[in-house]
Amino acid sequence: MADKEKKKKESIFDLSKYIDKHIRVKFQGGREASGVLKGFDPLLNLVLDGTTEYMRDPDDQYKLTEDTRQLGLVVCRGTSVVLICPQDGMEAIPNPFIQQQDG
Amino acid sequence: MKLKIFYFKEGRLVDKCIGSRIHIVMKNDKEIVGTLLGFDDFVNMVLEDVTEFEITPEGRRITKLDQILLNGNNITMLIPGGEGPEV
Repeated sequence: MADKEKKKKESIFDLSKYIDKHIRVKFQGGREASGVLKGFDPLLNLVLDGTTEYMRDPDDQYKLTEDTRQLGLVVCRGTSVVLICPQDGMEAIPNPFIQQQDG
Repeated sequence: MKLKIFYFKEGRLVDKCIGSRIHIVMKNDKEIVGTLLGFDDFVNMVLEDVTEFEITPEGRRITKLDQILLNGNNITMLIPGGEGPEV
């Protein structure tokens, strides 16, 4: 039972390896941001430095370059975070699920 | 049980933040700029001298004075010293 208590507080993922690295964060609601990870806590609140925010518009689809802004030092709420990945660990690719209809 | 939020850098960040301007970005297209008076474990926030921004309709502004209690449920980002979006 004591073991179970202790495991409850441990995170399944260690963010310390991302400290001082450039990461990309996605939020509930469609917002995206990237910045250098300066700090975090077990609740997944993050401190990002030199943050760039990307916003997704309905007509924008997924063009990120249009609406970016610099936010500087930012605290990201862990309750809102849905994804964290290294900044250079992802790239945009053409949609692999669309199939060409041959008449 | 004490919920220790933001212990890494925010521990000092929040001390500097209380009493100064803060820019809060919500999950939707709303942003709030105000003077931080305090917050709780759930990051509900008390702000004063508040300006509310809607980003989508070309940056409409609604200014409210006095104090507001902002529900932390929809807060996505907190930017200390931020002045809000460029209008």
